[in-house]
Amino acid sequence: MQQRFTCQICQHEIVHPGEECPYCKSRSVIAEGASPRILVIVFAVMIGFFALTTMLAGAFERERRDRGRQHFESANSLMKEQNFDQAIEHYRDALLYSRTETSYQLGLANALFAAKEFPETEHRLVELRGVDPTSGIVNHRLAQLAHRNGHIDEAVAYYRTAVYGRWDDSTEAAGDGIRVSVRLELVDLLEEAGRDRELAVALQELTEIDPNNREYRHRYAAKLLDIEAPEEASENYSLLLESDPRDRVALLGRAEAEFRLRNFLTARTHYNRAQALGSDPATSERIALCNRVIELDPTRRGISVAERYRRSRVLVDRTRNVVMGCQNPWGDGFVGPLPPLPPDLHSVLDTADAVLRQTRDRPSDEKVEANILLAEEVWAKSRPLCEGSGPTDEALGLVLAKLAQ
Amino acid sequence: MKPLRDILAKLLAMSRTSPVLDEPQRFLLLSIVIGIFSGLVVVCFHVSIEFLNWITIASLNPPSKWILTLWPAVGGFVAYAVIRYIVPTARGTGVNYTKTAVYASDGYVPFSSVLGKFSTCTLSIGTGNPMGPEDPALQMGAGIASLLGRIFHLTRDHMRLIAPIGAAAGIGAAFNTPITAVLFVMEEVVSAWNAGVLGSIVLASVSAVIVNRWFLGDDPLYRVPGFEFGDYSELIFYAAIGIAGGALSALFTRHAIALRGFFLGFTERRRLWLPAAAGLAVGIVGLYAPETLGAGYEVVDGALHDRFGWQPLLLFGVLKLLTAALCFSCGTPGGLFAPTLFIGAMVGGGLGGLANEIWPLSGSIGPYALVGIGTFFAGVFRAPMTSVFMVFELSASYQIILPVMVANTIATLVSRHLQHESVFQLAGYQDGLDLPSAEERRETPVMHVEDAMRRGRGLVVPKEMVVREALATVEQNGGQALLVDVRYGRWGWVERRDLERAVEDGDGDKTIHQALTPRPAIRTHPDVPLDQALRKLAVYPLLPVASRVNPSSMIGTLSLEDVHRAYGISNRTAQRDSPAQSEEAAQP
Repeated sequence: MQQRFTCQICQHEIVHPGEECPYCKSRSVIAEGASPRILVIVFAVMIGFFALTTMLAGAFERERRDRGRQHFESANSLMKEQNFDQAIEHYRDALLYSRTETSYQLGLANALFAAKEFPETEHRLVELRGVDPTSGIVNHRLAQLAHRNGHIDEAVAYYRTAVYGRWDDSTEAAGDGIRVSVRLELVDLLEEAGRDRELAVALQELTEIDPNNREYRHRYAAKLLDIEAPEEASENYSLLLESDPRDRVALLGRAEAEFRLRNFLTARTHYNRAQALGSDPATSERIALCNRVIELDPTRRGISVAERYRRSRVLVDRTRNVVMGCQNPWGDGFVGPLPPLPPDLHSVLDTADAVLRQTRDRPSDEKVEANILLAEEVWAKSRPLCEGSGPTDEALGLVLAKLAQ
Repeated sequence: MKPLRDILAKLLAMSRTSPVLDEPQRFLLLSIVIGIFSGLVVVCFHVSIEFLNWITIASLNPPSKWILTLWPAVGGFVAYAVIRYIVPTARGTGVNYTKTAVYASDGYVPFSSVLGKFSTCTLSIGTGNPMGPEDPALQMGAGIASLLGRIFHLTRDHMRLIAPIGAAAGIGAAFNTPITAVLFVMEEVVSAWNAGVLGSIVLASVSAVIVNRWFLGDDPLYRVPGFEFGDYSELIFYAAIGIAGGALSALFTRHAIALRGFFLGFTERRRLWLPAAAGLAVGIVGLYAPETLGAGYEVVDGALHDRFGWQPLLLFGVLKLLTAALCFSCGTPGGLFAPTLFIGAMVGGGLGGLANEIWPLSGSIGPYALVGIGTFFAGVFRAPMTSVFMVFELSASYQIILPVMVANTIATLVSRHLQHESVFQLAGYQDGLDLPSAEERRETPVMHVEDAMRRGRGLVVPKEMVVREALATVEQNGGQALLVDVRYGRWGWVERRDLERAVEDGDGDKTIHQALTPRPAIRTHPDVPLDQALRKLAVYPLLPVASRVNPSSMIGTLSLEDVHRAYGISNRTAQRDSPAQSEEAAQP
């Protein structure tokens, strides 16, 4: 195949290079088409240049890495000396040399956080999170930042990712410790935000991670009481008392849990044990209340029918008195027409009066049951009248609540 | 060893035979080769600048501050001396050099300019002068492309296109943004959308970026944090940044060019000291604000990450504006891309920060700095599309695209209102160049056939019409030819003198069909550019203008007189030049 040549002026194909173009009569511009020889030379030069660039870029990369490391090490030393401003500068210099190095970026973010440069810290951390969304340390810092900015939902989400996130190999040995400390920060945050249910779950997780840690269990049990889970609270306090029966806080907690479960006897026992370890007026008050409830309770085991009957009558009488008090909250000195009672309440009060007038009745279980039912009925029908007004009888309320159970 | 020997023998045998690739194939292959070479050169350029920077102003064991202050002056002086005494071809801006290659020198860019730009810009930027490596990279790419084009013996047409291809490769590698590079070259260097060269430019740009990333990593120029565009009312502030960026860019262009013109009036000997003086000023400024030294990418990065408050940002922006304008006007080697990005980011971030203080918005300065990057760039280079895509490519965020578009468009309009020409155009005038710009081309309306054609069928007659009547029709319409409706949407043409000759020969009462043989006419369409139709009018005196949807239906005619009228050339001139008139004039 014959080689082709092109005239650069008129673009005609011509046969002989170097001769005058037969079309445009131009001579100097006749060019030879690129031969494979030229291609080979160009590619050889390219490969040579590539090798040269590789060497140069390699040297550049090594120098860059070394310089970055030097600045990073200086920055770390300055961080230990708590010289945050200088450390920031060195971290920045380190990043100039290795912009993708996560440890440098993290170092800078930590230094910025420590120096309270929060807007830039956030940017750096968000960027790092973009690179590694599961990084424990990055999410932890972001959570702290979000907490500081009052973004609670965001902070909780970051804390959770940090708890389940990936922590550096160097800290893997202490990984659980770090995770627990992050969980504790989360617990504090949830407590501060008043998110009790989430808090209880976080605390439960903590007690599962470290079942022997009394502090976590104490907080967990207390939180269970706060969220009205007395049964679970009682169980946790029992566990605490198993290992230390003289733990006064646990005794009080257990007593409170039992009180809320309406186990007044058990509650009183634990209050008394706590009182024995150190008295305080609130506990004394609680014991007195327990005593009043226990003495009023007609369903208590081990008492005679006569005593039960007596208590049931007292129950009816005190219920009636409470209702009358609700009708006349101003006291006996009040002169004037009292507000009329609702007809259904009026009728049950008449029945109560009739029961209380019969003083010679023989005690029986049926009568006890009837009195209890009557007291409950009076109590229930008086609720609209007594809501928010009138005298209170805490022991009576607790007994009736227990009876209703 | 044997297979290798065989391959070599085959290659040798091939080299003795014909070229293996034809021109278009060579051109495409060459685009990739140009991209690779340009990428390699830009990598070396980048590495050289960094090495020099580490030796001088960023040394790990820095000497006294005063010695550091002198580095930009030393660098500027040596670089300019190299240009003056060794490589004068490295003078001027890369964009103008490349445009000259496209429009004036058949794609020729001397290779010495590549070596010159490489060495002098390394010296000036590496020692802390506030210039950027992108424009030199663009010129180096163009120079490499030109050299390869010459080696590959491309035709003149292809040689003219080769420089922009290299330019795209150079700037793509320098910015690490292939799309931006393509757009910039199309918008600023080629000054038009040329489908023929687009594919090659893309190939070269992408190849160069790949090579750059291979050696220097995937890291973008700036690490842009994720932004969220919350409230549409923020657009007001972005628009304000656009206004400020546009006004400042016009101010920068006007004063930098005026100062450059003033310094160009100096003798060569005195001009030699100007970059040193500018470098000294840069060094002194750098003593108090080291952020203004060098290209300043890391400072922009810091602004994007809320590292600075609004006061230092505005201060850096103003200082950089002054030092960059001074260095540019004194002839310090280096480009204006990096300084414009720096100034834009600082001004945008500064104004955004100030706005945040007065009306708390997003709370972060970063988005304003990011938008600001494009505004100053758009204003100085008048490349709004490039600026939008550049910010988009740098940030990879769809959220930011709307504010960027608003701000950059406003910046371009404001800048153009205050200062009509771009900095490259004005610098070109000062250097004795009158190169076309995209803006100029956009402003020049393209005329189409529909703007000149004579509507209706006034100059169309049936073939059964008698000659005398046909001649009367021509005379009545003042034309030089007639179209004869042959059949089935085909037309022939006869000239007025043919009709006159037929009448003289006594065939005036015959039909056209009997007396004459109409020559076949070729049709044109209303949307065809007028200059394209004009080429046909060189051969055919009258063109039928047919509808695109129904080509057999004629909607008008086009003659040379119509074109003259459309372009505003007087009828008298047209008549003087018409052949019929000439013939008449020739008769006694």
